[in-house]
Amino acid sequence: MISLTNGYGSRLRNGILAAAVALPVGFAGPALAQDYPSADETLDWTIAFGPGGGNDIMARSIIEILDKYDLYPGDVKPENRAGGSGAVGWGYLYAQSGNPYGISTTSGSFVTTPLQADTPWQPEDFTPVALLATDDLVLVVNGNSDIQNIEEFIAKAKETPMNIGGTGTVNVDFIVPTLFAQKAGFEFDYVSFNSMSEQTTALLSNALDAMVGNPGEILGLIESGDLRPLVFSGQNVPAALEGVPTMGSLGYDIGVSMPRGLILAPNAPQEAQDWWIETMKTVVETPEWGEYISSNTLTPTVIYGEDFRTFLTNTKNGFQEVLKSVGAIK
Amino acid sequence: MDIFADLMMGLSVAITPINIVYLLIGALVGMIVGVIPGFGPSAGLAILLPVTFGMDPIGAIMMLAAIYYGAMYGGTITSILLNTPGESATVASTFDGFPLAKNGRAGPALVMQAVASFVGGTVGVILITILAPMFSQVSRSFGPPEYFLLAMMGMLTLLVMIGTNWKLGVISALIGFALGTVGVDLETGQGRYTFGSAELIGGIYFIPIAIGLFGLGELFYAFYGGLHRTGTGAIVQYDKEERFWPTAQDWISTRLTMARSSILGFVVGVIPGAGATIASLMAYSTERSVSKNPENFGKGEMAGLVAPETANNAASSGAMIPLLTLGIPGSASTAVLLAAFLLWGMRPGPLFMEQNPELAWGLIASMYLGNMALLAISIFAIPLFVQIIKVPYRILGPTVVVICALGTFSVNASFIEMFLMFGAGIVGFFMRLYGFSPAALVLALVLGPLAEEALRQTLTISRGSFMIFIERTPSLWILGITIALVAFLPLLNRLGGKTASSGDAEKAGS
Repeated sequence: MISLTNGYGSRLRNGILAAAVALPVGFAGPALAQDYPSADETLDWTIAFGPGGGNDIMARSIIEILDKYDLYPGDVKPENRAGGSGAVGWGYLYAQSGNPYGISTTSGSFVTTPLQADTPWQPEDFTPVALLATDDLVLVVNGNSDIQNIEEFIAKAKETPMNIGGTGTVNVDFIVPTLFAQKAGFEFDYVSFNSMSEQTTALLSNALDAMVGNPGEILGLIESGDLRPLVFSGQNVPAALEGVPTMGSLGYDIGVSMPRGLILAPNAPQEAQDWWIETMKTVVETPEWGEYISSNTLTPTVIYGEDFRTFLTNTKNGFQEVLKSVGAIK
Repeated sequence: MDIFADLMMGLSVAITPINIVYLLIGALVGMIVGVIPGFGPSAGLAILLPVTFGMDPIGAIMMLAAIYYGAMYGGTITSILLNTPGESATVASTFDGFPLAKNGRAGPALVMQAVASFVGGTVGVILITILAPMFSQVSRSFGPPEYFLLAMMGMLTLLVMIGTNWKLGVISALIGFALGTVGVDLETGQGRYTFGSAELIGGIYFIPIAIGLFGLGELFYAFYGGLHRTGTGAIVQYDKEERFWPTAQDWISTRLTMARSSILGFVVGVIPGAGATIASLMAYSTERSVSKNPENFGKGEMAGLVAPETANNAASSGAMIPLLTLGIPGSASTAVLLAAFLLWGMRPGPLFMEQNPELAWGLIASMYLGNMALLAISIFAIPLFVQIIKVPYRILGPTVVVICALGTFSVNASFIEMFLMFGAGIVGFFMRLYGFSPAALVLALVLGPLAEEALRQTLTISRGSFMIFIERTPSLWILGITIALVAFLPLLNRLGGKTASSGDAEKAGS
């Protein structure tokens, strides 16, 4: 296990920065709960993946913001508990039922791992704080392809089935194009890859007709014209993809995306859940959060508390249905 | 000259006192994570990544990159001294590195590995400097058909590993292929032999298997031989006074090996996903095929150590090309570097080098300096490292077991992988005892899943037609080279007056 402790040596630097920037925010945490959080308790922040990944970057960005604006009174100890596609880390949090000081960030595997393996936990078991953003996908073709836009793509796919590459099978990469194709009425062959890099080179080498991917990872290639974006699966197109239609605007809304949110251990006290919901309302207003969202090309989608639990349940059921229909899971 | 001006600009950016300190820190950390079995550069990078928050990006990227190529230097030390690969790309270095040490040539072996690493790394950086745009075309022409053919070419290496007792060799390889089927089937998403375990979703990673087979297997074998009870109890011999420096013969016989392996390693490194491990294995088998005395491979042939060492360092340089020119990480380690770029708000892609010339050329320039620093550190540290082998075996043995277990666990925090490692240790002992080929097993485990996935992707794309392999130009090239190798290598061996069966390469993996 790789365990990292974010010491607070940077407090001074952050303090100075905060003094300069914090004026508009100007208060330190909502005052509704006096007992929670206690400054003596260390917040045990589980990151269910290794350092450097999307989940890790999100957790550390939130912690930076909490630190900078003095939103959390005690120490925060982020630990990377990677393993088993998140099963290890979220299993660790699951075991702390009732503890108000166990917290974690979610990502796509939070929904897909329990579908694939016998994890003791399900996504809806945890105490939901907030969905903060969603990871959405962009469908791209090679920059030298004849296909200029999504209408041409659909028209061509109806004539001869195309192949679309994505990462993994029990994954949003597979579910998004499958649902989109059903709605738009074309057929395609899904080609599954182990990593974004293999699938990108496959597309650049003209082996693939098209692929789906997180815009953040391929923005450089889109900017240089090596890849041509056709359609985006989220509700709002990120600034970097201006002019690209969304699936919803074409009338093929699929309503599936990967949740990036915040959870507490199962059965955490009500006051802890309330405190974190109020605090996250402050966090998402900060300019740093805006910067995190735009530099990672996420779609800001904020829902709190029990609505987040409902969202998780719906996403899980949606995934399960599609994956069962193609026989990927039983 | 443009390139020269760019490089000078890069050097001026890289050579500041604080950046040099970062570079040296990175190089040292890299060597250390390389030495610990299982704990590779991607883990070392990931640990230092959070430290670079708020650092100057140029210093930070110099440090992170130094960890990456520094690990290639450190990883070989335990391969040579303990037969335990410190890092996946140094598995092939155990084949001849350990026999060399057993023959009392640990000093020359360590010096030659440092020099070979330096040559590979430096040739790699020179090639990046002058040919980066050209090679970006190579990484752009690799789709599933090419990966499949590349894996098939890699399997030619199996023929070398299998050696004289082909029945035992084939069984070893088949065990490797069988282990490679574990994990979620990429195509359908169904679990194969995962028994509901989340830790097996991703399949059986070859690192715990390699550490167990080579490291623990060797250890058990030494205990079986009663090494812990003998007077000195040392597994390998080392004589500081007489045998530290390589002989003239060592230098002369490996000149061409270094040249060939640098180029081979670099080209394989450029291909995303192939990486340093495959490069080192291919370099080993290529050298053995062209060698005048292939029968010495696996028994302590210097070229057999130099080839994989040069290749893995050249490959780690080569892997920078897709990262810098396309924003595509070719390996786990370069993926962490990519994450670092993203953290600093930079956007890797084809325009990266134009938009951030200072950072890109600063990084390239720092790689020249880093390789020089690592050569010096490695050679000075040799007397220190060889102290390891003076430790009596009854103390060293248990320590190695603990380090192997910790190193394996540190990669994915997986108990299952640790048990697999111990299981592989026991299997490795019996394989060693009865003359099976652990090397063939590991190679099959690496190449099997790669070949299976690439073939299924290819056939999905081509809708079942095998014609795709001859319709694509890059495929045709690889196919041509493979056929040429199959047809001409035995001929070459025969012309050289060597009997084809002379190489008992089951030794190669022992």
